[in-house]
Amino acid sequence: MRQKSVYLACFILHFLLIITVSFRETLWLVARGLTIFPSSSKSYSARAEKATSAARGHNLAASSALRQALATYLHLAGIERGYGYFAPNVPESYKLVLELHYPDGRLEYQLPRVNRAAAGLRVAGLLDEIGRTRYDPLREYMVKMLAYSTWRENPDVTMIRAVFGSISLPSISEFEHGKRESYEFLYAYDFSRTDEATEVETP
Amino acid sequence: METWRERILQFLFPAGSDTWLAILRLGLGLQVVLYALSLLNDWNYLFAATGSGLVSRNLGEAILSLESPFVPRLGWLIALGAHVGLGEETVLSAAWICLVAAGCGLLAGLFCRCSAILAWFLHLCAAKSGAFVSYGVDNFMTIGLFYLMLSPLPDRYSLDRRWRKFRPKDPQVLGFWRRVVQLHLCVIYFFSGLTKCLGSGWWDGINIWRALTRPPFNIIPPEILVSWKYFLPVLGISICLIEAGYPVFIWLKKTRLIWLICVLGMHIAIGLTMGMYLFALIMIILNAAAFGPGVSGMEGKGSALGRRRPASV
Repeated sequence: MRQKSVYLACFILHFLLIITVSFRETLWLVARGLTIFPSSSKSYSARAEKATSAARGHNLAASSALRQALATYLHLAGIERGYGYFAPNVPESYKLVLELHYPDGRLEYQLPRVNRAAAGLRVAGLLDEIGRTRYDPLREYMVKMLAYSTWRENPDVTMIRAVFGSISLPSISEFEHGKRESYEFLYAYDFSRTDEATEVETP
Repeated sequence: METWRERILQFLFPAGSDTWLAILRLGLGLQVVLYALSLLNDWNYLFAATGSGLVSRNLGEAILSLESPFVPRLGWLIALGAHVGLGEETVLSAAWICLVAAGCGLLAGLFCRCSAILAWFLHLCAAKSGAFVSYGVDNFMTIGLFYLMLSPLPDRYSLDRRWRKFRPKDPQVLGFWRRVVQLHLCVIYFFSGLTKCLGSGWWDGINIWRALTRPPFNIIPPEILVSWKYFLPVLGISICLIEAGYPVFIWLKKTRLIWLICVLGMHIAIGLTMGMYLFALIMIILNAAAFGPGVSGMEGKGSALGRRRPASV
């Protein structure tokens, strides 16, 4: 009986955490107006989201032992995020084109490459991550890493221009009228041997 | 009050056989091996630190440390290897080999507990260090391996049980861990379905079109999809209903089989039409383990425990 009580207590804690994390993600979507809910529900959702964040320990100091213990457990159990894959709507996809500049003035275009399709899915996820990030230095750093991985395979290259953009997909009716997917420019960075990046232009 | 407590305990601790655990062990063993093989040529490239990798592992680990410094990561193994003079590439390769070995151990049912812990730990290290290159499949593998590691292994089909003469486990504890997996799946599908229902694009089929034409999931030519355009809204609504209705209809005897078939069919379709084979496989494994035995009639064959009371409501 005592063993069952221990199991039961752990079960309740574990599922409280799962539901809190999942609920918080749903509220986050509503609070940002990404769902079909009316805009009047945004403020309620934002408040409820804050409450669920507090339940996850987000209001505690980053160095708090309780916060770190919670975060560790969530990661160990694989329950640190919700389950809204492709929800509420399918997000945009992104593309990174690397323009390789050779000393003789030649130009070559490449995409980040991996050996297998399984790794290709992961690179697509990485591009989505870069596209979503709102912190410019982090985005630039990740693009730089991708550019440098191409550089290692092409050591003669003197400069790489990394052009990051989103892919605009046509709707069904647009596709029927001949429109195809298009590439929308978002950011461009120049990387030279000096390791200093220059952001060329942003929209 | 006492009756409620008893009812809850009865629900959470049904005496069950270990067939579900055997399915989970075999399935996750296969998943781990396929996961490792799918990254065979890209493993070091994806998880190397600055200098030779695709995107620095150090960056992912630094961000992870902001959340908690105690989450396992490949950096720990590499630091440990450096103490005994092993380079990063050697340690990464050794981690890959150990992961394959752990997957094979689970498949064979040999050293089940150690294999499960090793597979969970190494996969978690890779998933966390490569957080920027991880996606849903890693999340569900962590969940599955976490439960497998804690479940009362070994099951009766494992080599451990045959060769090392382990005693059969408490059927109520077996039933409890099955319930945990079942209920977690219900939460997963409920919230997945709920968030989809909140998006307008799932009701008119636009999201199905976008999901199937979005690179790198655009396996089916859009010309073929266009010819099915009137079917896409039906498909979108069906997915919402299957997922949001899962926590209810998977428990009712009359609808359990049909719901399980629908969910498995949905994941097979995702695998085939979007190229997400590993994602499809892990979801099929979790569903088959959690709800398969009670439906298929496999449970209980050759086991008095299984005949006594099926592990379902």
